Formats: sequence, structure tokens, C-alpha cells
Amino acid sequence: MKKIRPTEASRGGVQHWLRQVLAPHKPLLNAALMLGYISALLLVWQSWLLALLFSDWLVAWQQLGAAALNVSLLRDLLPWLLLCLLLRPLLQYGRERLCQQVSLRARSGLREQLLAQLAALGPGRQALGADAVLGSRLLEQVDALDGYISRYHVQRYLVVLVPLTLLLCIFYYSPLAGILMLVTAPLVPLFMVLLGKAAAAASQKQFVALARMSGRFMDLLRGLKTLQHLQAVPQAEAEVTQAAEHYRAGTMGVLRMAFLSGAVLEFFSALAIALVALYLGLGLLGILPWAKGSIPVPYQGALFILLLAPEFYNPLRQLGSDYHAKAEAEAALTELMPLLELQVWQHPGQQPLQLSTAPSLAFHQLDIAQRLAPFNLQLAAGERVVLQGASGSGKSSLLQAVLGFLPYGGEIRINQQSLLTLRRADWHQQLGFLSQQPQLLHGNLADNLRLAAPEASDAQLVAVLDQVALWPLIRQLPLQLQTPLGERGLGLSGGQLSRLALAQLLLRDTPVWLLDEPTAHLDPQTAAHINALLERLSQGRTVLLVSHELGGLEWVDRVVSLDAPSVTQVTA
Amino acid sequence: MNRKLNSIRLRGLLRSRMGEWNLALFLGGCTLFAAISLLAISGWFISAAALAGLTTTAAYGFDYFRPAALIRLCAIVRTGGRYAERLASHHAALGLLKDLRISLFARVAGRGHSAVTRSSSAMHRLVADIDLLDFFPLRVVAPWFWASLLTAVLLGGFYLLAPLLALAALPGVLLAWLLLPLLAGRHAARLARADVGLAEQRRILLLDNLQMLTPLLLWQRWSARQAVFAGEDQRFSAQRLRQQQWVSLIAAGQQLGLSLSLLGMLWQGGLLVQAGELSLPLLLAAVLGLLGLTEVLLPLAQSFIALGLSQAARDRLNQLTSEPAKQTEQGAAALTELYSLSLSGLSARHEGALSGPQQVDLQLKAGDVLLLSGPSGCGKSTLLEVLAGEPLDYSGERLLNGKAYEHWQWRSVIGYLPQQLDIFDMTLAENLRLGQPAATEQQLWAVLEDVALADWARARPAQLNTTLGEYGAQVSGGQARRIALARLLLAQRPLLLLDEPFAGLDAATREQVLAALLRRQASGMLVIVSHQPLELEKAQRLQLTMN
Repeated sequence: MKKIRPTEASRGGVQHWLRQVLAPHKPLLNAALMLGYISALLLVWQSWLLALLFSDWLVAWQQLGAAALNVSLLRDLLPWLLLCLLLRPLLQYGRERLCQQVSLRARSGLREQLLAQLAALGPGRQALGADAVLGSRLLEQVDALDGYISRYHVQRYLVVLVPLTLLLCIFYYSPLAGILMLVTAPLVPLFMVLLGKAAAAASQKQFVALARMSGRFMDLLRGLKTLQHLQAVPQAEAEVTQAAEHYRAGTMGVLRMAFLSGAVLEFFSALAIALVALYLGLGLLGILPWAKGSIPVPYQGALFILLLAPEFYNPLRQLGSDYHAKAEAEAALTELMPLLELQVWQHPGQQPLQLSTAPSLAFHQLDIAQRLAPFNLQLAAGERVVLQGASGSGKSSLLQAVLGFLPYGGEIRINQQSLLTLRRADWHQQLGFLSQQPQLLHGNLADNLRLAAPEASDAQLVAVLDQVALWPLIRQLPLQLQTPLGERGLGLSGGQLSRLALAQLLLRDTPVWLLDEPTAHLDPQTAAHINALLERLSQGRTVLLVSHELGGLEWVDRVVSLDAPSVTQVTA
Repeated sequence: MNRKLNSIRLRGLLRSRMGEWNLALFLGGCTLFAAISLLAISGWFISAAALAGLTTTAAYGFDYFRPAALIRLCAIVRTGGRYAERLASHHAALGLLKDLRISLFARVAGRGHSAVTRSSSAMHRLVADIDLLDFFPLRVVAPWFWASLLTAVLLGGFYLLAPLLALAALPGVLLAWLLLPLLAGRHAARLARADVGLAEQRRILLLDNLQMLTPLLLWQRWSARQAVFAGEDQRFSAQRLRQQQWVSLIAAGQQLGLSLSLLGMLWQGGLLVQAGELSLPLLLAAVLGLLGLTEVLLPLAQSFIALGLSQAARDRLNQLTSEPAKQTEQGAAALTELYSLSLSGLSARHEGALSGPQQVDLQLKAGDVLLLSGPSGCGKSTLLEVLAGEPLDYSGERLLNGKAYEHWQWRSVIGYLPQQLDIFDMTLAENLRLGQPAATEQQLWAVLEDVALADWARARPAQLNTTLGEYGAQVSGGQARRIALARLLLAQRPLLLLDEPFAGLDAATREQVLAALLRRQASGMLVIVSHQPLELEKAQRLQLTMN
């Protein structure tokens, strides 16, 4: 899993998508912000109550002696204190629940959106990367937004609102203390920006280093079998040790930098408390150089300010510790953007299609931008044609167009009806498609076959397996149709996989077959077997077979070449 | 006993770098103590100052230097301590990860390849699991240590001020420090352990759907399968959400507990001050200290999730390395010269495979060449794996020099080129030297010449130091195959087992490589599986059929 550092140009796009993802959940997020803010206000009130209580006690204690201490004031203030103390954790809890809920919904919404994009792309998705990579993007990268949504987003607003509110309160009691805070306050965002950038760059570097180190580790682990055969394990161990040490040394350097941003915040927070405490304390003693003999801030105000001072920087410290959540989310969205921003084409047709026999299939001036030059071909009903061409000649684009996943110029006609006017699902019902690399699901043989035809009986399954010459082999296995297939069809040879895919095709018994190099990855002997099967089983269907080799395909009615600049027809 | 030595234990994670962890814990303790003291002393200071200020005569006798110095000291310790603690703990954590990677690699390598024959996604998990293990010291041990230390110090301080004050604070603090995190946290840890299985299930479903996207769309099964995935995704997310909610709940409970303590202290403190047993500034210092404790105790809510994750990671890693090693054992007898290889009545089949070689008989002596052929799926590669000593279940006899493999140190005589070969993300020379660490540059060029890669390598700017990329991505499949072959030739093994060594080569290159192979292996044995027809008069041929 590689993370891309967002460039300045893409950062705007990332922000746009972050907003987009959160837009439907604005009300909930605003509610969470509200709760957070109310909680801050309650804190102010709580501090004020405490200051009031202590100041009352102090005056009583000093002037009238300890016995005059008015404990009943505590009783009077108790309901309000209790309210603040009980409500704040509940508000905090409510805020977290709301944000978590939003995060969950936003992420599953995004995931659905991405999957819909992939489904619309159909076979064209392969241009975006291997399925395993796409899969890990859909899972991990989408989940990587969690920290941003559930923690960072609301905090980002609180970090402005709360200190401003506290500042107003502090100003009311002591302009000078307020100014003290105000002077350090703008420094904090400034340092945050500077160090945040450095920290982001540093964490990026650290990530790259980690990826490289993990890569080396994985690389050697994956090849352990080979290393054992070569008896080169000690060399590999030395290699791992070296890479691990290198990573450790490098990362420590980076972290020294990254932790500075935390230290700066800590510094301001501690400094503010210390300065405010000294100023207030010396003021109360009446020995401030510029205010000798007078008390600038009375005790109640002083205590109130002291209680608020740590809270002034707390939202920022929180934001700082969640900063990596933001970086993580940005990196994740940068990876997802190519897929999100892809303009996918939707097949427009809505007319129903019913076929009882093999149809004719015609291409008139078929033209796919930059992939296929204008191309004409007519397949009569039940005709079997091989389309030949080197890689890059536009064969797979043509197949994608016929499958209804790619826009095109010119026309594709099925029994004189234009494909663009037909409902795609209806056309798919009539279509059998065999890809270069047939795939299987986790599950047993029967599960995989029934994917193509959910209603098929066991007898039907056995019949099609018999037709593709797999049944004699499967009959001997203890579990027969229930035989579990290894991961990704592991344990099946290429030929066996092709036969299984053919069996799926037979179960659907469609009048049109599109075959995409069905034997390209097989050895000649096996390819010959599969081609013989294809000859026998494709009779009576309209067949378009794409291949760059002709061996074993002598049975087709016609061979058409795509290679030449203008398409020529060759008759078999 | 042996099993224990070999498995990872969370407690053991701290032991290897005890000094570094102790330093980090000490620094963190100082930082948190300074943070709480800063507040408490400040509160005491302004209260005492206010008291002194009210009676003007006392104001001039008030010693404000010492508290002022203490306040500054606390501010400095808090700032510097935090930075130093972060550095120290990460130094230790990175060291721990380094140790773990090295020892785990050695262990997996030593145990044979039961762990290694897994899919690459399992490998990714292994790497990720190691990274999860530092959660234990960083997010479990350290927060608990600091929380316990500071709670004890604070309660001790309260006790010294007035025993009743400590008693008033005790119930709420106990709730926030021990009871809630322990009771509720255990449940959260269970949830965290369980989510790995759900995550795996979700990944499998998604990958299945993606790989079969086109057929599923054509068969109108996409939305149905998608719904199955969405359901699994929901289950996983709901599980995660429950974890987060537990953490939030514990945190809310902790804050309520501390609120309870605060009220108790105010009440009791008021009475104590009234009775003249406690000074008011000290009561305020105690209250501020309690407020400061919140920050120290809250991380405990998270700690059990971290514990659950690192426990799960530990269990998976231990399971991986404690599975009975499935490999052909090496015997004690050195095999200096190999003169015969024989199979009789040998049958084998991969788990999950539909077919495999059946009843194979075979006799080879030094200098022999054997060509294996047959249709795809008849078990040629499986037979080669059995010959290479791969851990496969087989029946029949498999002998070297008339004795079973397990009698000999057989690895040193066998060179095996599998269909799935491994090129490492290192330079060409390093890849080749895996076969023969002491090989000179001259030898490397000679063997490259033999596999018809010397011209290609000479044309690279970095020549022998050309990097080959992850999975050998910088070279074509045919080149990778020949590099692996060259590596084997350097290792000079008496028995060479080659699965499709000529795939992707044109006829002329094939002839050249084959000639070199025959020359280099003239006195050894050579077994080749190939689809291409090879011009080899003196070779034995074995045709396998479908069973």
C-alpha cells in the first residue's frame, strides 16, 4: 500500500472531495460542533462558580476567621456545579457518538459510490490497477478517513471558537492577561502552520521509509522458499537487520523534527499558565513594578483566569495530536480521486430485447476514439467468426463496446436493432462471455457454477461438467460437486479453469458468445482440447472470437483481421 | 518450555530494552507531574498572595521568589520533558520493532515454509501485525504506569494534607482510575480481538466480487453479491463502532467519577478549612491537582482497545510460527556426491487440486537428462516439487543414492527453478550472489553469458548493479526466469530441476541456453519440464498423462 503525497494542485481537489463526502451529514456535524461548544461554555461557567466559591471562602476566612467559613454557599452553588460537572461528560459523549455515526455513514456512502463507479466501468476498470490494489483502496483508504471525520473535522472549528470565547471572558476580568494570551495566540497558528508543514513532510518521509523497509521485509519473506532452496537464509537475515536498522535511524531523525510541533504547543501552554499565574499573584501582592500598592485583578477574577488558562490551549493541543488524521485522510483521498473523478459512460438504451434463436450481429463504421479505426463487419445469424489482431489493435475495446461498457461512434446492431437503444440487462441475458483469465469465487464447485445459473439442479451441473469433460475427474473426488476450490482457483490447472468457465457459459445457454482469447495462456496441447470443445459447443450460436493466433480454430466460418490500417477481410 | 521461548509474549516486549523504556516512563512521569504541579502551585500561589495582599503588612514579607521559581521550573520540565519522553519512547518502540522483525524473520526462515506458502495478503498482515505490537508498551503499559503513579502521588499528597480529604476523593478516583477502565475495558478488548476475523471476511468478499465483476454484471448477479458485501461491511463497521462507543462511554464515566471526587473534596475541604485543619490555598491546590488528573486518566479508556489489538496480533504471529513445520527434514549425513535418484510408485496431489502425478517410476544417474512432458494439469510441476523436497503429501518411494531424502543433507545438492520464481528487490549482482556469495565478477559475467543476458546487462548504465525492482518488476518475465536460472547455475547443484526454463525465449536463445545448461550440468542430473520441443537426443523422456 503506497501513499502518494498530495501536491499543491491536487490538494484543492482533495478539499473539494472531503467537503463533498461530508456535505450530506452537515446537520449532524453541526450538532456535534454545537455540543462541543456548549461543553466549553459549561466549562467557563464551572470555572466561574469555583472562583466565586473560593473567593467567598477566602474573604470570610481572612476577615472573620476559619469558623466563619460559609459552607452553605457550597450548598447553594451545588446544583449548578453538579449541572456543569454531569453535563460536560455527557455532551462530550454525545459529540463523539454523532461524529462516529457520521464517519460510518460517510465512509459506507463513499464506498458505495466507488463501487458504483467500478461497476459502471465494467471490464475497463483494469486500466486503474490490479483488483487486489483496487480492493485495498476501497477498504483501507476509505477507512483512513475515519480519524478526520470523527475527530479532526469538528475540532477544527472548536480550535477557533473556544479560545476566542475564553479570551472574551479573560478580557472582561483582566485586559492585560487577555493581551498576554492574545499575543501568544496568533503565534500558535503561525507555528502550527510552519511546523505542521514540516511535520507533514516529515511524516510523509517516515511513511516512505516505512514502506521501503516493509517492502524489503516482505520481499525477502515472500521469497523465503527460494532462499531456503539456495541456502541463502543467513544472507537474507543480514539484509533484514540492515534494513531495519536503517529505518530506525532514519525515522528517529524525522521524529525529532515532527515532535517539535508538539513541544511548541506545550511550551506556549505552560508559558501562558506560568506568566498569568505570576502576573496575577504578584498583582494580588500589590508589588507589580507598574502598579505598586494596588491590586489590578481581584482574587475571584484571578482564579477564574487561572482556571481558564490551560483550557485556552487545550483545543489546539488536541488538534495537534489529531493532525496525522488529517494527513492520512488527504493521502487516502489523493489515491481515491482518480477513480472518483473518472467520467463514466452510462449505456442509454431502454428498449426490451427478446431472442429465441441466434441473432445476426452487425458493426457499421464502428469507431472508438483513439482505440479503433472505423470498422465494418456483419455476422449472419449463427455465424462463427474469429477477429484477429495484435495487441493494441483495439480488440478488447471492441469487446467492451459490444458488452455495453464503452461509448462508440457508428453502430452495433443486433437483428437490425441498435445496441444503444436496447436495455443493456436484456442484451446481457442473451450473451455468453469468456474472458482471458477466468476467475472463481471462494467456495465449492457447485457454488461457482450456480453463480451463472442459480436455479440449476445438480443433474444439470453434472451434465454441463460432462460436456466440458470435467465430470470424469470430479466424480472421483470424495466431495464431488461440493469439492472446495483453493484460493483463487489454486490447484486448478489453466485448462481446468477454462473448462469450468465454459461450463458456466453452457449453463446459461445463450444464443450469442463473445470469446476473448480463450486459449491465450494455455499450452498448445491444452489449447487444442479447449478449441475442440469450443467447436462442438458453440454450434448454432452467433460467435465472435477474438484471438491473435489461429491454430486450432480451423472450424470457424470466417477470419477477419484488425491489423491492417484499413480493415481487410480474410476468408478462411 | 521450548514453545514458550519461541513465542512472543507481550510482557517480554518490554524486557529487551528495559533501560530505554524505563527512561521513557520516568520522563513521562516527570512531565505529567510537572503539568499537574504547575496548576496546583499556581493556584496555591495566587490564593496565598491574595491572602497576604489583603493584609498589606504581610505582602512585603511574602516570599514570592520560591513559588515563582517553582512555577517556572514546572513549565520548563513540562515542555522539555514532553519532548524528551516522546523521543525516548519512540526510540525504544522503533528498536522493539526492529528486534521483532529480525527475530520473526529468523524464526519463520528457520521453521520451513508452512508460513511462507501463504498468499501475499497474509504476508501484508504479518508485517502489519508486527507494527501493532508496539501498541502494548506505548498505549497500554505507559498510560497505566503514569496514571497509577500520579494517582498514588496525588492521593498520597491529599492524605498528607488531611486524611479525610483523601478519603473524600477516593471513591471517584478509584472509579476513574481502576474500576471503569478495568471492567468495561475488558469487554472493549474482546471486541478489538474479534474484529480481525470480520475484516478478513469483508476483504475476501470484496476481492471475489471485484475479480468477477464482468461476469457478475453480465449475469445480473452484481447487485445481489454487492448486497452480501455491504452486509459484511456493515457488520464490520458496526463492530468498530461498538468499540469506539465503549471508549467514549468509559471516558464519560471516568469524567463523572472525577466530578464526584471534586464535589466530595469541596465539601469535605470546606468543612476541614472551617475546622481550621486545612488552609484554603492548599485546598485550592488539591482541587486543581485533581482537575489536572483528568488528562492523565483519560488515555486509560483507549488502552484496552490497544491491548486487544496487540493481543490479537501476538496470537496471529505466534500461531504462524508455532504451526507444525511442514517441511522435509534434513538428515545428518553429508551428501558429497550424488550418483542416483529414483522414484517408484510415486503419487502426489496438492491440497485443493483436482489432479496430480500418479504412480511415477523414475531412475536417474549422474550425467542423465530427463524431459518431462504431458498436458497441462497432469502434474508435471507437482512431480518436480516432490523431487525438490517441497513439503507435499505423497505416497511411494523417493530416494537419493538409494536412501530417503530425510537421511541426507539434501538441500545442498538440489537446485530448483519453480514456475513461480522469486527475484528480489536488490541489484542484479546481489540477486545472483544469493546462489554463491563468494562469486567473483568474472564468474557473474560468465554465467550471464551462458543464459544470454550478458549483452543486456552490459547495455544497462549500472551493469551488474542494475536494480531489479520489487517482484523483479524492472525486468521482463523471460529475463527474470534466466536471472533465476543463472543464480542456480552459480550455486552448482548436482541435481537441477527446471520448470519451464525456456518460457518466452526465441528458438536461437533457447538453443544457446540449453547448450550452456548441458555443458555446466554434464556430470550432474538435469530434469526439465518444457512445452517447447527440445532437440535432445540423449535425453530420457517421461510423458505424464491425465489420471
